Amino acid sequence: MMETLELASVVLQDGSGGISGQAAAAIAVGLGALGTGYAQSRIGAAAVGAVAEDDDMFVPGLIFTALPETLIIIAFVTIFLV
Amino acid sequence: MKVRTEGSSNYEYVSARVRSRKRKLFDEDDYRKLVRMEPSEIARFMEETEYETEMNALGTRHSGVDLVEYALNRNLAKHFDDLLTWAEGPLYDYIVNYLRKFDAWNVKTAVRGVYTDAAAEAVETDLIRTGEFPDRLLDRLVEAGSIEEVAEALSTTIFGDPLAEAMSDFESEGVLVPLENAVDRAFYTHLMDELGRSVPNSPEGLYGEFLEAEIDFRNLRNALRIARSGADIDPAEYHIEGGGLFDPEELRQLATNVDELVERVRASTYGDELATALEELAAADSLVGFERALETALLEYSSKLSNRYPLSVCPVISYVLAKEREVENVRAVARGREAGLDVEEIEAELVII
Repeated sequence: MMETLELASVVLQDGSGGISGQAAAAIAVGLGALGTGYAQSRIGAAAVGAVAEDDDMFVPGLIFTALPETLIIIAFVTIFLV
Repeated sequence: MKVRTEGSSNYEYVSARVRSRKRKLFDEDDYRKLVRMEPSEIARFMEETEYETEMNALGTRHSGVDLVEYALNRNLAKHFDDLLTWAEGPLYDYIVNYLRKFDAWNVKTAVRGVYTDAAAEAVETDLIRTGEFPDRLLDRLVEAGSIEEVAEALSTTIFGDPLAEAMSDFESEGVLVPLENAVDRAFYTHLMDELGRSVPNSPEGLYGEFLEAEIDFRNLRNALRIARSGADIDPAEYHIEGGGLFDPEELRQLATNVDELVERVRASTYGDELATALEELAAADSLVGFERALETALLEYSSKLSNRYPLSVCPVISYVLAKEREVENVRAVARGREAGLDVEEIEAELVII
């Protein structure tokens, strides 16, 4: 039991093996961006379809397409936290 | 025969467009206005709506109620062709399979045209140019001089073999019923081609569920019609495969006893959806009311499915059904007014949800 704890404390120590904090932040931002892209592709397709039928849907379409943007913006914050 | 398209389905785009179009269909208010109009007013009303282009394009050649009817058909074909243009991947296949309904319609129109010796031009205007058949094939159907020629032209399609088989029945009895049934059954047997029995609650599963309901309703309606008409026809012969409610043997027994049939349906999975329809049947004792109620139930069922699973083929099917209904409703109004029916009588013919 003791050994496991020791091992864990070694692994979790800053800079000891694994990846650096900055690299982890980079991965977080990158994954966030992927998620945003995936969500926007599908919402964007639906929005374009709706606008094609009815011009008044342009503004709601734009808003809904921009909503997943929040994902990447929040992921972006991690950069300043490390 | 099969049009295979690459890539994945674009459900988002297609359902957004389809939902928007569905909302623009005539609503109850429009129908209330329509049933109170004279035929000429109906034509003028249509020119100010969705049907403007078609009304103007056909206005020089036709007039009155005919004009309304042809404009409706042409508009329907335009919208359904749009669906096929938008859709990609498996979604396209589903839609094509469903729109074969109009191939079936076109085949029946051609066969009836030949049977009644109608002029090619008259047949031509009655075609609905959407679905899987290319224009060239439709033109060949129109020009066919005999039923054999029609069957010949269709030999490479799904309707070829069933038509050829039904030919002997047609020749011995001299009525069109065997041929038309062959066409309908060819359509329904191939409807489920793409599906298989797939995962419940997936888009494919729901689509399968809906198709099953449609086939069940059709079997039910056929059985009732046969039971009512008292004709000496074996209902099992007109049974359409793929439904979950009846098998041919059951259908044969139930068709002779309407009460038992009603009980059976009430106890089935459709009991809730068809409750109003069954009451109508029991109370008014009229098939017309029951059939309207069946149609309404199917429409409601399709809308329910399209809300339960928005990213699937269900919204498209729901739109296709609603649009077909609208076309049939407007036609009923126009024809009814032309024949001088009362407002109430026409309203009884409409299916509005």
